[in-house]
Amino acid sequence: MAKAQNGRRKREHYYYQMDYMLLFMTVVIALFGILMIYSASSYTASTSRFSNPYRFVTRQAFGMLGGIFCMLFVARWDYRELYLKKFNIVYLIYVVCLILQTIVLIPGIGVEHNGARRWLKLGMEFQPSEFTKIGVILFVSYAVYLSRKRLDTFQGFLKVMVYIIPAIALIGKENLSTAIIVTVIAGGMCFVASKKKKYFIFCAIAAVGLALAYAMIGGGFRAGRIASWRDIENEPGGFQILQGLYAIASGGILGSGLGESMQKLGYIPEAYNDMIFAVICEELGIVGAVFVMIAFLVLLWRIVIIACNAPDIFGSMICVGVMIHIAIQVLFNIAVVTNTIPSTGVPLPLISYGGTACLIMMTELGLVLNVSARIKRK
Amino acid sequence: MTDYLKQSRTNQRQKLLFVYGMIVLCMIGLAGRLLYLMVNRADYYGEKAKEVHQRQRTVKAARGIIYDRNGVEIASNKPVSTISVIHNQIEDPEKVIRVLSDLLELPEEKVRKRVEKVSSIEKIKSNVDKEISDQIRDMELAGVMVDEDYKRYYPYSEFASRVIGFTGADNQGIIGMEVAYDKYLQGQDGSILTMTTARGLEIDGKAEERVEPVAGTNLYSSLDVNIQTFAQQAAKKVMKAKKAKSVRIVMMNPQNGEIYAMVNVPEFDLNDPYTLNTSAGKNMSDKKKQEALNGMWRNACVSDTYEPGSTFKVITATSALEAGVVKLEDTFHCPGFKIVEDRRIRCHKTTGHGSETFVQGVQNSCNPVFMEVGARLGVDNMFRYLQQLGILSKTGIDVPGEASTIMHQKENVGAVELATMSFGQSFQLTPVRLLSSISMIINGGTQITPHFGVKLESSDGTAVKRLTYPVQENVISGQTSETMRMILESVVSEGSGKKAFVEGYQVGAKTGTSEKLPRRSNKYIASCMGFAPADNPVVAALVLIDEPQGIYYGGTIAAPVISELLDNALPYLGVERGEISTAEPG
Repeated sequence: MAKAQNGRRKREHYYYQMDYMLLFMTVVIALFGILMIYSASSYTASTSRFSNPYRFVTRQAFGMLGGIFCMLFVARWDYRELYLKKFNIVYLIYVVCLILQTIVLIPGIGVEHNGARRWLKLGMEFQPSEFTKIGVILFVSYAVYLSRKRLDTFQGFLKVMVYIIPAIALIGKENLSTAIIVTVIAGGMCFVASKKKKYFIFCAIAAVGLALAYAMIGGGFRAGRIASWRDIENEPGGFQILQGLYAIASGGILGSGLGESMQKLGYIPEAYNDMIFAVICEELGIVGAVFVMIAFLVLLWRIVIIACNAPDIFGSMICVGVMIHIAIQVLFNIAVVTNTIPSTGVPLPLISYGGTACLIMMTELGLVLNVSARIKRK
Repeated sequence: MTDYLKQSRTNQRQKLLFVYGMIVLCMIGLAGRLLYLMVNRADYYGEKAKEVHQRQRTVKAARGIIYDRNGVEIASNKPVSTISVIHNQIEDPEKVIRVLSDLLELPEEKVRKRVEKVSSIEKIKSNVDKEISDQIRDMELAGVMVDEDYKRYYPYSEFASRVIGFTGADNQGIIGMEVAYDKYLQGQDGSILTMTTARGLEIDGKAEERVEPVAGTNLYSSLDVNIQTFAQQAAKKVMKAKKAKSVRIVMMNPQNGEIYAMVNVPEFDLNDPYTLNTSAGKNMSDKKKQEALNGMWRNACVSDTYEPGSTFKVITATSALEAGVVKLEDTFHCPGFKIVEDRRIRCHKTTGHGSETFVQGVQNSCNPVFMEVGARLGVDNMFRYLQQLGILSKTGIDVPGEASTIMHQKENVGAVELATMSFGQSFQLTPVRLLSSISMIINGGTQITPHFGVKLESSDGTAVKRLTYPVQENVISGQTSETMRMILESVVSEGSGKKAFVEGYQVGAKTGTSEKLPRRSNKYIASCMGFAPADNPVVAALVLIDEPQGIYYGGTIAAPVISELLDNALPYLGVERGEISTAEPG
């Protein structure tokens, strides 16, 4: 308490300001996403049963506006109130996430699309796993905040993970790629917080080995995806990725020009979704694609800076979690589109079509902005 | 505690920077992968993508035109159109259905079904005449597409149908010259490459690649529209008069083998080759109908053999003269038959011709004379001359389906077979084979190849290729040739070929009557071969009347046709009519 009062007194000599660079990058990338979604979806939207070329872009724009609102709202109050109150909001959020994650699995409540039951309908459809990402990031951050030393031992790390595993298992039941992302976020945060390296390296190798074994033995559609990854041109399952490769290869240095993509004209199914990076490559060339990658690196770098200067370890860990989340999705998405890894449905953050995904991503960035606003600046 | 915090803060920053570094490395790796895909693999995938995006529309090449010897088009192309509808571009379906069913004369339900079908493009009718398609185009109905095209068109319809032939749906020749010269006539199809969406809709404004079609090479044939038309009429006339099954006529230039006319009546309509030319076509099974069509398309002058009968005596006489086994003034005696081994083979004149010279024997077409001549020749000589005169090989005519001569095996030929062969029985050959060999006999001894194709000319007229055919000179001596022309002229002026006479010309001819197999079925082929002028023939003709009713003698019913044909053709071919003798020729 004394510390907090101390801080309040010193506020007269320092000023507090959110990181406008991060805000700017976020909005720029999201606006670029809107542009690309319009380009990639207008043909599909106008020829589909909706026959409205603006269908996807308007929905995405609403998602983005909602996201910006959430981001600024989340950035306003002090993030430290999440745990300073008598009633611990972090636990509450995490428990709510677990409950939603359980509910969604119940047939009749969870909504099914393409054979996977991942959606809940509350006014609009959303994936609870998106919220769970925030829940996990907050939970791990708080765990680190409570006892940093704990992570210096393998047992301590396992204790933290024991709390996370239910969430991962619930997500993994219906959505393996999100489960992997959540695992990487939690593991990555612990790695950053811990003083040790060895057991993380061991765990990473073990995880990759397990994943490979699962994919090989698992059979079913996962084995099919690996087969089509290895022989993209002939395996029937590789159709979407192959069409994406056609798009990327037709791009060349400067691309065919905005709006000029051929592959979006029904060749790539749902080109505005996970495959949007292929359309970016085709229309804007390698130059445009590298610009997008650099934009993400700049965004991530801002988050790293904020993490390093965060007033406390809780805020710092939140930044780390968000950074890892964004980074892992960008890397997975581009790797899938370029057929570097077997295909798995990971959207490109802020750019791919998906209202809730965009809203959640912006909320996470709102948390980072919140942290950035608590940094003492001279 | 603070120490620990500070220390761990530094550690945490290092780790964070390490993580960020890893991210940057991964990004660089992926950028490298992108660079590889977009630069190194660009051509490979780019080509593949293009294959997927481009739709190739073929632009039919105009097929080469076939001309007669005077440059008259006998096989040509007519602009036609294909009418299609594009479902999602139609604005007023009711109007489209009404207009199309009206103008294309299609039942309304049929058009409605196609118009209302949800598909990218639906063909309504092809081979629509230009006037009608122009009307449709002028109405500018949204969603109705008019594609121009060519259709093979034969201006003379039922004209030398088996010779010219017709083409199938893929612009390929099916029979006749259309097949024989297919590779020249076809030309090279062009194509339009357009970019399409995955649903197959063409994208406006995207670059269109065009490969222009190359029109086929034009063919100048030796057929003569006037001679052929006249011959067809003459054939039809005699077929009707004699209630014959069919009539075949071949007319050619005996000097070089160019065929002026080749008639197989009844002819069929080349513009409608899938309709039978007889009334029997109804109620046939598909297989039966196909067989009947194949029969109708058959060029009987080239593909069907027959027993030549007395017309073949020209060959026997030539062989005997060439071998020197007979002289013109040698005398023979015909009692009306000749006993060969154990058989008594009759002459057509059962009372016998009595004593006669060799020349008279030919004039009378006396079988015992030729049996005797054949016996003098012997089997070896007979076959040697058959070979030499080309009877045993194909002519090499430039239309498909030529049949070979059906002849005895040499080792099986005894005295009886030799005797019957000598007057043209017990074997079969094609009309075109017989006329070609006779042409050689009367042209001075040069073996020629009968043919239709004369020259090829590229569509722009720049490149011309004359077609050449094998020629062999001095196969028989000029002396024998001259003698044979003289003898055959005397057949008309004094013998059995009187009715082939043409006023003002010296005509050579030989008639024939052959009984079809099986014998005693009373089915005959009456035939007559004629040529003129006798001293330097410009035209040789062969007429075959198949199964005439009533009188069936070649000299009575086929010879007048020869007379008629030559009477028409000779002045046309520029041979001046000589003095018209008022007296009836001897």
